[in-house]
Amino acid sequence: MAGAALLERLTVARAPVVWRLARVRAVEEAAEAAVTIVLDVDDWPGHAAGQHVDVRLTAEDGYQAQRSYSIASAPEDPGLALTVERIDDGEVSPYLAGELREGDEFELRGPVGGHFTWRVQDGGPLLLVAGGSGFVPLRAMLRHRAAQGSDVDSRLLVSARGWEHVLYRDELSSFGDVHVHVTLTREQPPGWSGSARRVDAEMLRELGPGPEERPRVFVCGPTAFVERAADLLVELGHHPAAIHAERFGPTGR
Amino acid sequence: MELWLDGNAIAGLLADALGEDVTATERHCPHCGDDWALGAYRAYRGAGMVLRCPGCGTPGLRVVETVEGFSVAWGADPAR
Repeated sequence: MAGAALLERLTVARAPVVWRLARVRAVEEAAEAAVTIVLDVDDWPGHAAGQHVDVRLTAEDGYQAQRSYSIASAPEDPGLALTVERIDDGEVSPYLAGELREGDEFELRGPVGGHFTWRVQDGGPLLLVAGGSGFVPLRAMLRHRAAQGSDVDSRLLVSARGWEHVLYRDELSSFGDVHVHVTLTREQPPGWSGSARRVDAEMLRELGPGPEERPRVFVCGPTAFVERAADLLVELGHHPAAIHAERFGPTGR
Repeated sequence: MELWLDGNAIAGLLADALGEDVTATERHCPHCGDDWALGAYRAYRGAGMVLRCPGCGTPGLRVVETVEGFSVAWGADPAR
């Protein structure tokens, strides 16, 4: 069977994906209705920037709910950080982003997701495109880049509804020599000097780098945002295989 | 708009079914000849999860969770 042959070819040693206990070290505000949860995880095996974890919550009656969250911290950061945006009718996020306190515990497993990752040795240029909370794994990449003292040409485009919804606002200028452009699609503060429209071809062309520089492209956000941005990038001439996309949405588990 | 995610997003489920994280592993699609990482495949939720080749849309892997465990089928054949 073809599958068995394929699996035999994948026998690169990988850590088994087991559930681990995570303890909340701190809960920090990341934006309006979003928090960054810093965790101590038993025997955490380390991760690559861009990976995610599965979080499992168990109620007193045994009912379990499971969700995936991108890792917000760089591998070099002390503590594993997740950023969770509160979705008001959500089942898990109101707890994680509203009720969780220092010392609380829950289970997580990972890191998983070997496709949407960037390490400094992968090189650049780097083109990062974030829609809303899609900024989370891209922040991990930029913190990793800064921690390693990398000077890889890096551009970041952040799209959000309004300024208060931009994650890590206070950090935007601390990633080092990264060209950052922010577009606010619905509401702009007085005197706003960034863009005020949905991501379009002109915005991506101005941000660069162009396809001739063969950047590594990472696009993350809600499905419709990622589809649109990826289509625009392909139209600009970027090779589809160079575009790494991560879509947020229900996994239906 | 069809609702689908990336294979990368269901890395945990795939690890449940296959025993390891396979998202960085490339698969050769016998239908269109493209090689893509399973993390770049398109994951559709139906009766289980179907991963389709991003090049041509042909199913490459189906994972169905049953009471006995996971049923995994590679290629375009339905899971048994």
